[in-house]
Amino acid sequence: MKSFDYLRPETLADAIAAGGAPGAAYLAGGTNLVDLMKTGAAVPDRIVDITRLPGLDRWEWLDDGGLRIGALVRNSDLAHDVDVAQTFPAMAEALLSGASGQLRNAATVGGNLMQATRCPFFADPTSSCNRREAGSGCAAQGLSARAFAVLGASEACIATHPSDFCVALAALGAMVEVAGPDGTRAVALTDFHRLPGAAPQTTTVLKPGELVTAITLPAAAAGFRRHARYLKLRDRTSFAFALVSAAAMLRIEDGIIAEARLAFGGVAAKPWRALDAEAALKGARPDADAFATAAARALEGAAATAGNGFKIPLAARIGARALTLAAAGTPAEMPVLPGSVHLGEPAHA
Amino acid sequence: MNRAVPMIRLTVNGAARPVAADPARRLSDVLREDLGLTGTKVGCDAGDCGACTVLIDGAPVCACLTPAAQAEGCEIRTVEGLSQTAEGGAALGALQRAFLRHGAAQCGICTPGMLMAATALLKEVATPTEDQARAALGGVLCRCTGYGRIIAAVCDAGRDMVGPAPSAGAAVGAALERLDGLPKVDGTEAFGADLWPAGALVVRAVRAPHPAARFVFGDLIDWAGPRQVRVFTAADIAGENRFGVIPPFADQPALAEGEARLRGEAIAIVVGEAEVMATLDLDDFPVIWEPLDPVTDPEAAAGARAVLAARPDNVLTRGRVVQGDAAVGLAGAAHVAEATARTSFVEHAYIEPEAGLAWLEGDVLAIRACTQAPVMDRDDVARVLGLAPGKVRIIPSAVGGGFGSKLDVSLQPLIGLAALKTGRPCRMVYSRTESMQSTTKRHPARMRARIGADASGRICGMDFEGTFDTGAYASWGPTVANRVPVHASGPYRTPNYRAETVAMHTNNPVAGAFRGFGVPQAAVVQEAAYDDLAQALGMDRLAFRRLNALAEGERSVCGQEMRGVGIGACLDALTPRWEAALAEVAEFNAAGGTVKRGIGVASCWYGCGNTALPNPSTVRAGITRDGRLVLHQGATDIGQGSNTVIPQIFADALGVAVAEIALVGPDTFLTPDCGKTSASRQTVVTGNAALRAGWALRAQILARTNRGDDARITLAPGKLLVADRTGTAEIALADLAAGAQGYVLMAEESYDPPTEPLDENGQGVPYAVYGYGAHLAEVAVDMMLGTVKVGRITAAHDLGRVVNPLLALGQIEGGIAQGLGMALMEEYVPGRTENLHDYLIPTTGDMPRIDPILIEVPDPKGPLGAKGLGEHVLIPTAPAILSAIRHASGARVTHLPALPHRVLRAIREAGR
Repeated sequence: MKSFDYLRPETLADAIAAGGAPGAAYLAGGTNLVDLMKTGAAVPDRIVDITRLPGLDRWEWLDDGGLRIGALVRNSDLAHDVDVAQTFPAMAEALLSGASGQLRNAATVGGNLMQATRCPFFADPTSSCNRREAGSGCAAQGLSARAFAVLGASEACIATHPSDFCVALAALGAMVEVAGPDGTRAVALTDFHRLPGAAPQTTTVLKPGELVTAITLPAAAAGFRRHARYLKLRDRTSFAFALVSAAAMLRIEDGIIAEARLAFGGVAAKPWRALDAEAALKGARPDADAFATAAARALEGAAATAGNGFKIPLAARIGARALTLAAAGTPAEMPVLPGSVHLGEPAHA
Repeated sequence: MNRAVPMIRLTVNGAARPVAADPARRLSDVLREDLGLTGTKVGCDAGDCGACTVLIDGAPVCACLTPAAQAEGCEIRTVEGLSQTAEGGAALGALQRAFLRHGAAQCGICTPGMLMAATALLKEVATPTEDQARAALGGVLCRCTGYGRIIAAVCDAGRDMVGPAPSAGAAVGAALERLDGLPKVDGTEAFGADLWPAGALVVRAVRAPHPAARFVFGDLIDWAGPRQVRVFTAADIAGENRFGVIPPFADQPALAEGEARLRGEAIAIVVGEAEVMATLDLDDFPVIWEPLDPVTDPEAAAGARAVLAARPDNVLTRGRVVQGDAAVGLAGAAHVAEATARTSFVEHAYIEPEAGLAWLEGDVLAIRACTQAPVMDRDDVARVLGLAPGKVRIIPSAVGGGFGSKLDVSLQPLIGLAALKTGRPCRMVYSRTESMQSTTKRHPARMRARIGADASGRICGMDFEGTFDTGAYASWGPTVANRVPVHASGPYRTPNYRAETVAMHTNNPVAGAFRGFGVPQAAVVQEAAYDDLAQALGMDRLAFRRLNALAEGERSVCGQEMRGVGIGACLDALTPRWEAALAEVAEFNAAGGTVKRGIGVASCWYGCGNTALPNPSTVRAGITRDGRLVLHQGATDIGQGSNTVIPQIFADALGVAVAEIALVGPDTFLTPDCGKTSASRQTVVTGNAALRAGWALRAQILARTNRGDDARITLAPGKLLVADRTGTAEIALADLAAGAQGYVLMAEESYDPPTEPLDENGQGVPYAVYGYGAHLAEVAVDMMLGTVKVGRITAAHDLGRVVNPLLALGQIEGGIAQGLGMALMEEYVPGRTENLHDYLIPTTGDMPRIDPILIEVPDPKGPLGAKGLGEHVLIPTAPAILSAIRHASGARVTHLPALPHRVLRAIREAGR
């Protein structure tokens, strides 16, 4: 591992000053960055450990019923809070479907937004990767491989974003609070991550030195609490990244969908909110036909590369299934295997 | 790594432990290297395996991802803290005792992580449900147990009981706790990475980033000098730079010479002081690569560039068994089924990466490393380093899982070279990626079988062909190529048989031994064809298998007259559940819905020991002048339990309680050769040697005292008491002269299973003893998503004689976990799955309910009737699951693993 400076500032201003230097990287829970530094995929000159910054490790309910979550809140703390889980159940389910208990105890919500892709070529410094090293090429292109993006990919990069949490946040209309050398600003979660285009190395809209300080869920997002699910198809039952996933939320009034939210994971370099599908559902009856049609619409622009064509219909099916489950109602208790597709089957027959 | 080294004030297990360390160093590293708390294991260094789980302020986290500075001011609790009593003494806690009682620790490498995760759960819930335990342990991977024993232990931790302590003569058959279990649960077990003297140098390897490439070094001295390290290459190797588990095929260089033939092959080692090596950057190591076009397709390899000059057609070896005339048999069949199957590279994924220490004892090179085969290691190291075998001492460390891959040497010649060159103790620990890149895998197979049955359903012919991708070097490729034709019929009566295999070289990972030596792959295609035949005949799939099951005294495809045949009893044992499950499935599926259930069945047989080759074990036992009974038990225990099973057999043969025995483990200077831990041979072969050693020692004692066969032997300080109905005689041990081994009474006995060479058609007696089994898998398939959930497996296994039911259950559950992984998720792809988050093995949530059924059809040649079990257990799992998927969905999955995209395609092809 290359040598680097390690700083642990006590104030946000100091952190931003330290983090603005070229080659600096912010460190929170470390569940992703520490590993990337070991493989050599990340080679920061300076680590700015932000875990001592005051006030970022808690959440607060806003007067209007929204929720402001400090960037250093641990995934497990947020997911296990009864009020949070009841108000934003798909978010809690998404959090608990991710990684393992050990990682959720360390990982922070801000860090979750900053996760790097799990594309194996990104993590392997001996492979070409435009995301890791601009202009070096893309070792994934042309390979028959099943995990790559089917939406929003480019010639330069076909990697996907690994987060579950962000998929739920996208559906909830979350805002990201950012602090930087030029002050603070708020960015919609759906605008926070960039599609690769010609410059996949730039993965978010953060400018040098900028730091995620909080995530805010608008009060309106609480309106979906009775019909909200996160569904995640993965190659093993737990502790695996999504092959495809979907967060689905409905507001049903008098048997009609008053408002719908649908976002996908595992299909693009960012959490993929399906606004067209949401619009198609508005005013419809919550039935299988409507869900299948809407979910298919969400995938209309999808394009396969070698080996991942099956993901397009599969994502549509996951979307429709998630909507169906959401329509059936948020479960009274968190499922034993959160986000699992094996809903018809008990964890142990 | 960091330029300033401040003091970090850690609090570990209640004690202040200030340590000067870079703040960004991993907590796991600081605990192990600086504080000597090696109970915290590092399996992947990436948060994927959970072996390093510690509690920070009560919450389980991966110490390998935690910068040490972030733990400052927190309460850190490690496995060492679990044995602390409130008074400051040491005693096992109830959870640790439950782990021993339930056999929850097999190899023990994941045990500290499991214990810590469970401790956090038990703090919240005193008596957790199985679901709660499963969720709490979901972040810790175990490759041995299948998790069932662990879940049981966690749920039962509140019920503190004492395990059985059988009296003299009653050890065999008792559910004895592991005799070597204590250090596995208190954090003191010393695996390959856990023991090193202060000042030991650290060794790292430089590895090929390409699957095939020529290379030349730049100026190594120029590079090494300013970095204060030394570099050694193939040019520094004094002996013959090639090793291999089968000496006539030995072809693998310890360090590549000018050409690398697989990604991850070592080309040089760098040796230096630990603090230098910790921050050494190998990216600018002076080597120039010239990539070659790699050979990657075993079926196209014959016409491709030669991977090894000595084998220009890329054929490593061929295997063949022919009996009768397969073509005639198939021509006369009423029904012929043809099945094809393709399997993937499967990684052993033991949680302990290769690790060890080498040092000089005078002119002897001593190596303490994780291994399954100490004597083979000795011979390979001696050959490579140009030493006499007697000048190499191999002391196996505790082994954190092997499953076949630790039969081949890995780092032993590298650390040996470093120790010889520097004169200093040298240690090395593979990273997870190095371990996955450079060590062996299960052979990918492409197989075709045609099997015919007559109108009454009796098999009348079988024709099998298989191409096995053996990778760049021989390893166990010849064994796989030879074992598969012997076993490809399954445990079924198969006249008119032809099975031919070929092992092809490629620039893929080296394929070697992995639990079953190719037989699990072959069973996939054979059992699929059996399902076709049953369907064509309109017969029940289980009944069809029962009809064709080998019976006592019948001949195998090798012409061997079979004795102690238990497959019929295994299939019969499945019948009640089979019938009930068929009815349940029919009812469930009739209700409609996108989830369909199905059941499947498959069998196994497996010959124990080397295929028609000698593989003796020798066991020594002695009594010291002061009355200690010592058993030199040289069968390396990699978690499977030979440290317990062999003493159980020996104790009953001698007629003493197991508790009287002091064990001396494998060490090529102290303990006779018990061969390798592979081929499910230790219970049979070393067990037979132990039985004979026990009998021989007993005979000496009885003869000395002139007592009858039923006499009771009692060990006492300085004497032996031998009692029968005529009275008690005494042997005053102090009066006897000690022999060269230091024992006043000693027996040493060998056993080599009686086999007969196979002729050019594979006819002969390949094995003395076989074990049998059959699995019934119950699955649910989501027809829209292509996902498969295994709900339940009923596993009947014929062990001949159950030496230790607790350990047997652990083997069965663990084998099923590996079989399930092979069936549903495991697929190693070089460059893409070189870690444990891209290469997936089953977690707690993937495991079904398992109902084991132990059958005892004694084998006339097994010790007390016992048969091997270790490999048998995973052979039927994958074919049974595939059979159940097909029953549920119509999907005939022919390319493993059955990932959703393959299941969906097969559902589509089935027209569902």
